[in-house]
Amino acid sequence: MKTKPIQSWLMRGGVTLLLAWSLAPILWAVRSSLTRPVDLTASKFSFLPPTFTLQHYGNLLGTVSAFQGQVTQSVWPQFSRALINSLVTSAAATVITVIAAALGGYAFARLRFPGRDAIFGLIVATLAIPAYTVMIPLYRMMVSLHLVDTYLGVTLVYVSAFLPLALWLMRSVYRGLPIALEEAAAIDGAGKLRTLFTIILPMAGPGLMAAAILTFLTAWGQFLIPLVFSPTLATKPLTVLIPEFVSKNYIDYGLMNAAGVLAIIPPLLLVVFLNRYLISGLTAGSGK
Amino acid sequence: MTALSLPRRRARISGGDAGLGLLMALPIILLMGSLVFWPLVMTFWDSVHRVDPMRFGTPFVGLRNYLSLFSDSDVQSSAFNTIVYVVVAVVIETAGGVAAALLLNSLGRARKWVLAAVILPWALPPVVNSIIWLWIYNPSYGVLNGVLRALGVISQNHVWFNDRWSALLLIAVVHIWRMLPITAVIVLAGLQSIPQELYEAARIDGAGALSRFGRITLPLIGGSLAIAMTQSTVLAFNLFDEAWILNGSSGDTRTLLIQVYMSAFQDLHFSYGMALSVLVMFASLAVSLIYVIRGKAETSAE
Repeated sequence: MKTKPIQSWLMRGGVTLLLAWSLAPILWAVRSSLTRPVDLTASKFSFLPPTFTLQHYGNLLGTVSAFQGQVTQSVWPQFSRALINSLVTSAAATVITVIAAALGGYAFARLRFPGRDAIFGLIVATLAIPAYTVMIPLYRMMVSLHLVDTYLGVTLVYVSAFLPLALWLMRSVYRGLPIALEEAAAIDGAGKLRTLFTIILPMAGPGLMAAAILTFLTAWGQFLIPLVFSPTLATKPLTVLIPEFVSKNYIDYGLMNAAGVLAIIPPLLLVVFLNRYLISGLTAGSGK
Repeated sequence: MTALSLPRRRARISGGDAGLGLLMALPIILLMGSLVFWPLVMTFWDSVHRVDPMRFGTPFVGLRNYLSLFSDSDVQSSAFNTIVYVVVAVVIETAGGVAAALLLNSLGRARKWVLAAVILPWALPPVVNSIIWLWIYNPSYGVLNGVLRALGVISQNHVWFNDRWSALLLIAVVHIWRMLPITAVIVLAGLQSIPQELYEAARIDGAGALSRFGRITLPLIGGSLAIAMTQSTVLAFNLFDEAWILNGSSGDTRTLLIQVYMSAFQDLHFSYGMALSVLVMFASLAVSLIYVIRGKAETSAE
């Protein structure tokens, strides 16, 4: 492509701006998490911390915490608990959602049963209603079932919230596959289920991956659902714990930034390594 | 579990896969039915009753909950705030998202990596985003004040959240930072589906860059743009995390969803909160109608 010098300079400027807008706030958080408290509150501005320190990560992950020279109670017990809760609920929601969408998506795409399209339409329509609309009765229901603050309860709410998108995604993946393959398998005498598991699912791999990544990221980032359904550390995830560091009577900015940076790691890895699937899921899920 | 024992042969005899199909869809139907549709019905039902854990009984009150919403000044100001967020977010996300998509589309091998960087803010937990920006906006030590002071734009530190409009705008910025990637990705997909020959033909006809954009690009990404804008609208309508983390329950920046949460889980006026959430739902449904219609059109396409 031949471009004039001005155009290429404009483009370079634009890309720099775009990268700065997307990454600078994150880099600033990383920088702050590596800065000593005394430098964090210094009035002199500097891009790099004058002295690098790992003390905030030490406070977060160590057995004792120090704040302004005073030894305070370690936050590691809460932090590790919340980290485990985040991982368990996000992973469980992802596995259940993907399995349900993989099987259900096939049923809604290829098998005929009464009311199929109407049911599918209704389920997809819930994408357009705020999940919070149903939260109050759902909360009362979970209270009466004793499922508040249990992994099962939180996971079920997550699945009900994230399944419609995954289902839509998988259904469009199945519909995009050539039907001739399934017909050939049927002629060879393979049943529908066997065809699904041996022929269709392997081909739908990228779609399954996209559905899994989207579901995991949404679950990992959830705030309002656990705010209501996970009141204690039994199931409280990082997203609910970290803001509590802010609302304590003192605010430890270094600790806050360090906790945020650690919570960023799983999504960061997904974006860096599985970017391709993520993009395809985002565009398909938004009604290609 | 009776369906489980349904012999496969019978499913075949019945002329299709009705049994198997229902069996595979059944867990989804049960789950969505009990955790989404049933609570939805309950929301409607309870919103015309008085449901209050502090008071005995749940008498029918008709539309009283709805009527008192309209005279509630908290509801009015949170509706106003929500509209501000929606307008600011949709305008900036659309303009910025299209610009980002055009830029990404013109990149060669670097596109993959720039795109990953652009997506990143969307992939992070909104709570963490908000905390990152909370520190940036910090009145005493925040980098926003630091940079503006260094540039000579302001002479002394601003407490940004003391002023309603700056608070609303700064919260909108955090939301836009998270959601702009969605618009960029959807529009980029739209751009990539435009055949290159159209541009070449236009270039031969002597059309300039601007007229190519106006005559070819814009009409052909119209569909993607409509989807992206609907998404932006619905997502801004449902703003909760950013406003909650950055400014708590403050009336200056409170959204309708925060208002629902406050009514139900802080004031324990369950049915009042549900009436409000029904209204929010209808408003959200109205603006996302395009989205649903498109989904339906796609469903019946084959």
